[in-house]
Amino acid sequence: MGFDVAALMGLLGIGGAFTLVAMILAAWMAWRIVEKAGLPGWAGLGAVLLTLTGVGTVVPLILLWVFAFMRWPRDAVAVARAAASGAASAAPMALTPPPAAPRGWRLAGGGVTLVIDGPLNTWLLTGAPAEKPGELSVPDPSVGRPHARLLVAGERLGLEDLGTPGGTFIDGARLLPEHGPRDISAAGVIRVGTVELTLSKARAAE
Amino acid sequence: MWHLLRDWALMNHSIMAWLLGLGSLVLLAILIVHLLFALLLIVPTWRICARAGFSGALSLFHLVPVIGSFIVMAILAFSTWPAGEATPRGL
Repeated sequence: MGFDVAALMGLLGIGGAFTLVAMILAAWMAWRIVEKAGLPGWAGLGAVLLTLTGVGTVVPLILLWVFAFMRWPRDAVAVARAAASGAASAAPMALTPPPAAPRGWRLAGGGVTLVIDGPLNTWLLTGAPAEKPGELSVPDPSVGRPHARLLVAGERLGLEDLGTPGGTFIDGARLLPEHGPRDISAAGVIRVGTVELTLSKARAAE
Repeated sequence: MWHLLRDWALMNHSIMAWLLGLGSLVLLAILIVHLLFALLLIVPTWRICARAGFSGALSLFHLVPVIGSFIVMAILAFSTWPAGEATPRGL
Protein backbone atom coordinates (compact mmCIF):
# COMPACT_ATOMS: atom_id res chain seq x y z
CA MET A 1 0.00 0.00 0.00
CA GLY A 2 2.79 2.35 0.97
CA PHE A 3 4.58 1.49 -2.22
CA ASP A 4 1.43 2.20 -4.22
CA VAL A 5 0.94 5.61 -2.65
CA ALA A 6 4.59 6.46 -3.21
CA ALA A 7 4.35 5.35 -6.83
CA LEU A 8 1.17 7.34 -7.30
CA MET A 9 2.72 10.45 -5.83
CA GLY A 10 5.76 9.99 -8.03
CA LEU A 11 3.54 9.63 -11.05
CA LEU A 12 1.15 12.49 -10.37
CA GLY A 13 3.00 14.65 -7.89
CA ILE A 14 1.70 15.15 -4.35
CA GLY A 15 -0.95 17.61 -5.54
CA GLY A 16 -2.20 15.23 -8.20
CA ALA A 17 -2.40 12.31 -5.78
CA PHE A 18 -4.36 14.37 -3.27
CA THR A 19 -6.72 15.48 -6.05
CA LEU A 20 -7.26 11.88 -7.07
CA VAL A 21 -8.01 10.80 -3.50
CA ALA A 22 -10.37 13.77 -3.05
CA MET A 23 -12.14 12.91 -6.28
CA ILE A 24 -12.63 9.26 -5.26
CA LEU A 25 -13.91 10.34 -1.82
CA ALA A 26 -16.30 12.88 -3.35
CA ALA A 27 -17.60 10.32 -5.86
CA TRP A 28 -18.20 7.77 -3.08
CA MET A 29 -20.02 10.31 -0.92
CA ALA A 30 -22.11 11.55 -3.84
CA TRP A 31 -23.08 7.93 -4.56
CA ARG A 32 -24.32 7.52 -0.98
CA ILE A 33 -26.17 10.87 -0.90
CA VAL A 34 -28.19 10.29 -4.08
CA GLU A 35 -29.00 6.75 -2.97
CA LYS A 36 -30.49 8.13 0.24
CA ALA A 37 -32.69 10.38 -1.90
CA GLY A 38 -33.86 7.33 -3.85
CA LEU A 39 -31.85 7.89 -7.04
CA PRO A 40 -29.37 5.39 -8.48
CA GLY A 41 -25.94 5.81 -6.90
CA TRP A 42 -24.12 5.93 -10.22
CA ALA A 43 -25.88 9.24 -10.98
CA GLY A 44 -24.04 10.92 -8.11
CA LEU A 45 -20.78 9.23 -8.95
CA GLY A 46 -21.12 10.27 -12.58
CA ALA A 47 -21.85 13.87 -11.63
CA VAL A 48 -18.61 14.10 -9.67
CA LEU A 49 -16.56 12.28 -12.30
CA LEU A 50 -17.80 14.80 -14.89
CA THR A 51 -15.33 17.26 -13.36
CA LEU A 52 -12.56 15.12 -14.88
CA THR A 53 -13.90 15.74 -18.36
CA GLY A 54 -13.89 18.80 -20.52
CA VAL A 55 -17.11 20.15 -19.05
CA GLY A 56 -15.21 21.14 -15.91
CA THR A 57 -17.19 22.16 -12.86
CA VAL A 58 -20.11 23.88 -14.55
CA VAL A 59 -22.16 20.78 -15.36
CA PRO A 60 -21.74 19.19 -11.88
CA LEU A 61 -22.79 22.54 -10.41
CA ILE A 62 -25.94 22.56 -12.56
CA LEU A 63 -26.62 18.95 -11.56
CA LEU A 64 -26.28 19.94 -7.88
CA TRP A 65 -28.99 22.58 -8.36
CA VAL A 66 -31.20 20.11 -10.22
CA PHE A 67 -30.72 17.52 -7.47
CA ALA A 68 -31.63 20.08 -4.79
CA PHE A 69 -34.87 21.18 -6.40
CA MET A 70 -36.10 18.04 -8.17
CA ARG A 71 -38.65 15.66 -6.71
CA TRP A 72 -36.78 12.84 -5.02
CA PRO A 73 -38.09 9.28 -5.43
CA ARG A 74 -37.95 9.04 -1.62
CA ASP A 75 -40.67 11.72 -1.39
CA ALA A 76 -42.66 10.37 -4.33
CA VAL A 77 -43.01 6.98 -2.65
CA ALA A 78 -44.14 8.63 0.59
CA VAL A 79 -46.69 10.83 -1.21
CA ALA A 80 -48.06 7.89 -3.22
CA ARG A 81 -48.55 5.91 -0.04
CA ALA A 82 -50.17 8.87 1.67
CA ALA A 83 -52.49 9.33 -1.30
CA ALA A 84 -53.46 5.66 -1.10
CA SER A 85 -54.24 6.10 2.60
CA GLY A 86 -56.19 9.28 1.88
CA ALA A 87 -58.23 7.59 -0.85
CA ALA A 88 -59.16 4.84 1.54
CA SER A 89 -60.29 7.35 4.16
CA ALA A 90 -62.37 9.27 1.62
CA ALA A 91 -64.42 6.20 0.77
CA PRO A 92 -68.12 6.24 1.82
CA MET A 93 -68.66 5.09 5.36
CA ALA A 94 -70.89 2.21 4.25
CA LEU A 95 -68.00 0.78 2.27
CA THR A 96 -65.42 1.30 4.97
CA PRO A 97 -63.90 -2.04 5.85
CA PRO A 98 -64.36 -3.16 9.43
CA PRO A 99 -61.50 -2.30 11.75
CA ALA A 100 -58.81 -4.88 11.78
CA ALA A 101 -56.91 -6.09 14.77
CA PRO A 102 -55.94 -3.38 17.30
CA ARG A 103 -53.41 -1.12 15.66
CA GLY A 104 -53.85 2.03 17.71
CA TRP A 105 -51.32 4.59 18.78
CA ARG A 106 -51.30 6.95 21.70
CA LEU A 107 -49.93 10.48 21.90
CA ALA A 108 -49.71 11.87 25.41
CA GLY A 109 -48.37 15.14 26.74
CA GLY A 110 -49.25 18.79 27.31
CA GLY A 111 -52.28 17.79 29.34
CA VAL A 112 -53.90 15.73 26.57
CA THR A 113 -53.98 12.09 25.64
CA LEU A 114 -54.86 11.33 22.03
CA VAL A 115 -55.74 7.83 20.88
CA ILE A 116 -55.37 7.05 17.19
CA ASP A 117 -57.52 4.02 16.62
CA GLY A 118 -60.45 3.03 14.45
CA PRO A 119 -61.20 2.62 10.78
CA LEU A 120 -59.80 6.01 9.73
CA ASN A 121 -56.44 6.12 8.01
CA THR A 122 -55.99 9.88 8.17
CA TRP A 123 -56.08 12.03 11.30
CA LEU A 124 -55.62 15.75 11.75
CA LEU A 125 -53.77 17.32 14.66
CA THR A 126 -55.33 20.69 15.35
CA GLY A 127 -55.20 23.40 17.98
CA ALA A 128 -58.96 23.90 17.63
CA PRO A 129 -61.56 21.78 19.43
CA ALA A 130 -62.17 18.49 17.62
CA GLU A 131 -65.40 18.77 15.64
CA LYS A 132 -65.22 16.06 13.02
CA PRO A 133 -64.22 12.41 13.18
CA GLY A 134 -60.50 12.09 12.70
CA GLU A 135 -59.62 15.39 14.35
CA LEU A 136 -57.33 15.29 17.35
CA SER A 137 -57.31 18.44 19.44
CA VAL A 138 -54.20 19.79 21.13
CA PRO A 139 -55.52 23.00 22.68
CA ASP A 140 -52.49 25.24 22.60
CA PRO A 141 -51.94 28.60 20.84
CA SER A 142 -48.72 27.34 19.26
CA VAL A 143 -50.57 24.50 17.50
CA GLY A 144 -51.94 25.28 14.05
CA ARG A 145 -55.54 24.78 12.97
CA PRO A 146 -54.86 22.26 11.46
CA HIS A 147 -51.22 21.61 12.28
CA ALA A 148 -50.20 18.17 11.01
CA ARG A 149 -51.63 15.05 9.43
CA LEU A 150 -51.23 11.57 10.90
CA LEU A 151 -51.43 8.65 8.50
CA VAL A 152 -52.04 5.07 9.55
CA ALA A 153 -50.67 2.48 7.15
CA GLY A 154 -50.98 -1.04 8.53
CA GLU A 155 -48.82 -1.24 11.60
CA ARG A 156 -47.06 2.00 10.79
CA LEU A 157 -47.82 5.58 11.63
CA GLY A 158 -46.84 8.53 9.44
CA LEU A 159 -46.71 12.23 10.18
CA GLU A 160 -46.91 15.12 7.72
CA ASP A 161 -46.42 18.77 8.63
CA LEU A 162 -48.97 21.14 7.13
CA GLY A 163 -46.75 24.20 7.15
CA THR A 164 -47.75 25.98 10.35
CA PRO A 165 -45.37 28.51 11.94
CA GLY A 166 -45.09 26.54 15.21
CA GLY A 167 -43.32 23.71 13.41
CA THR A 168 -43.38 19.95 13.82
CA PHE A 169 -40.46 17.94 15.21
CA ILE A 170 -39.74 14.23 15.29
CA ASP A 171 -37.37 13.42 18.13
CA GLY A 172 -36.01 16.94 17.88
CA ALA A 173 -35.57 16.97 14.09
CA ARG A 174 -37.66 19.51 12.20
CA LEU A 175 -40.24 18.10 9.81
CA LEU A 176 -40.99 20.44 6.91
CA PRO A 177 -44.01 20.30 4.58
CA GLU A 178 -41.78 19.44 1.63
CA HIS A 179 -40.57 16.32 3.44
CA GLY A 180 -44.02 14.80 2.96
CA PRO A 181 -45.22 12.05 5.29
CA ARG A 182 -42.53 10.46 7.44
CA ASP A 183 -42.64 7.15 9.24
CA ILE A 184 -42.78 7.87 12.99
CA SER A 185 -43.53 4.31 14.14
CA ALA A 186 -40.14 4.14 15.83
CA ALA A 187 -40.14 7.74 17.10
CA GLY A 188 -40.36 8.63 20.77
CA VAL A 189 -41.38 12.27 21.06
CA ILE A 190 -43.35 14.39 18.61
CA ARG A 191 -43.43 18.14 19.13
CA VAL A 192 -46.18 20.25 17.61
CA GLY A 193 -45.62 23.93 18.30
CA THR A 194 -44.42 23.95 21.90
CA VAL A 195 -46.36 20.84 22.95
CA GLU A 196 -44.36 17.64 23.33
CA LEU A 197 -46.31 14.45 22.79
CA THR A 198 -44.90 11.06 23.72
CA LEU A 199 -45.77 8.40 21.15
CA SER A 200 -46.59 4.89 22.23
CA LYS A 201 -48.46 1.92 20.87
CA ALA A 202 -51.94 1.69 22.39
CA ARG A 203 -52.84 -1.66 23.86
CA ALA A 204 -56.01 -3.53 22.89
CA ALA A 205 -57.60 -2.83 26.29
CA GLU A 206 -57.13 0.93 25.97
CA MET B 1 25.31 61.29 -2.63
CA TRP B 2 22.69 61.97 0.01
CA HIS B 3 20.25 63.07 -2.70
CA LEU B 4 20.75 59.83 -4.57
CA LEU B 5 20.13 57.76 -1.45
CA ARG B 6 16.98 59.74 -0.63
CA ASP B 7 15.61 59.35 -4.19
CA TRP B 8 16.32 55.61 -4.10
CA ALA B 9 14.53 55.26 -0.77
CA LEU B 10 11.55 57.25 -2.01
CA MET B 11 11.32 55.16 -5.17
CA ASN B 12 11.62 51.95 -3.18
CA HIS B 13 8.91 53.11 -0.84
CA SER B 14 6.50 53.92 -3.67
CA ILE B 15 7.13 50.55 -5.34
CA MET B 16 6.45 48.78 -2.03
CA ALA B 17 3.25 50.74 -1.52
CA TRP B 18 2.16 49.95 -5.08
CA LEU B 19 2.86 46.23 -4.61
CA LEU B 20 1.00 46.18 -1.31
CA GLY B 21 -1.97 47.88 -2.91
CA LEU B 22 -1.95 45.43 -5.81
CA GLY B 23 -1.70 42.50 -3.40
CA SER B 24 -4.67 43.75 -1.38
CA LEU B 25 -6.67 44.15 -4.56
CA VAL B 26 -5.83 40.62 -5.70
CA LEU B 27 -6.75 39.24 -2.26
CA LEU B 28 -10.05 41.11 -2.34
CA ALA B 29 -10.80 39.78 -5.80
CA ILE B 30 -10.01 36.22 -4.68
CA LEU B 31 -12.26 36.67 -1.62
CA ILE B 32 -15.17 37.95 -3.70
CA VAL B 33 -14.85 35.13 -6.25
CA HIS B 34 -14.66 32.60 -3.39
CA LEU B 35 -17.80 34.03 -1.77
CA LEU B 36 -19.69 34.06 -5.05
CA PHE B 37 -18.72 30.47 -5.84
CA ALA B 38 -19.54 29.41 -2.25
CA LEU B 39 -22.95 31.04 -2.62
CA LEU B 40 -23.60 28.99 -5.75
CA LEU B 41 -22.97 25.88 -3.64
CA ILE B 42 -24.65 27.07 -0.44
CA VAL B 43 -28.11 27.71 -1.93
CA PRO B 44 -28.75 24.17 -3.30
CA THR B 45 -26.94 22.52 -0.40
CA TRP B 46 -29.09 24.46 2.08
CA ARG B 47 -32.18 22.94 0.46
CA ILE B 48 -30.67 19.45 0.33
CA CYS B 49 -29.78 19.64 4.04
CA ALA B 50 -33.27 20.88 4.93
CA ARG B 51 -34.92 18.11 2.90
CA ALA B 52 -32.68 15.56 4.58
CA GLY B 53 -33.83 16.87 7.96
CA PHE B 54 -30.64 18.71 8.94
CA SER B 55 -30.28 22.41 9.59
CA GLY B 56 -29.71 24.32 6.38
CA ALA B 57 -26.92 26.20 8.14
CA LEU B 58 -24.74 23.11 7.63
CA SER B 59 -24.29 24.30 4.08
CA LEU B 60 -22.29 27.28 5.38
CA PHE B 61 -19.35 24.86 5.62
CA HIS B 62 -18.90 25.67 1.94
CA LEU B 63 -17.37 28.94 3.13
CA VAL B 64 -14.42 26.97 4.50
CA PRO B 65 -11.87 26.81 1.69
CA VAL B 66 -10.81 23.44 0.23
CA ILE B 67 -12.31 21.06 2.84
CA GLY B 68 -15.68 22.73 3.49
CA SER B 69 -17.51 20.92 0.70
CA PHE B 70 -16.10 17.59 1.85
CA ILE B 71 -17.38 18.18 5.39
CA VAL B 72 -20.93 18.84 4.15
CA MET B 73 -20.83 15.86 1.81
CA ALA B 74 -19.49 13.58 4.55
CA ILE B 75 -22.28 14.61 6.94
CA LEU B 76 -24.93 13.99 4.28
CA ALA B 77 -23.36 10.74 3.11
CA PHE B 78 -22.48 9.00 6.36
CA SER B 79 -25.18 10.04 8.84
CA THR B 80 -28.77 8.90 9.07
CA TRP B 81 -31.12 11.50 7.60
CA PRO B 82 -33.59 12.65 10.26
CA ALA B 83 -36.27 13.20 7.61
CA GLY B 84 -35.93 9.65 6.35
CA GLU B 85 -34.07 7.92 3.57
CA ALA B 86 -35.33 6.20 0.46
CA THR B 87 -35.07 2.73 1.96
CA PRO B 88 -36.04 1.33 4.30
CA ARG B 89 -37.09 4.22 6.54
CA GLY B 90 -39.44 6.09 4.20
CA LEU B 91 -43.12 5.50 4.88
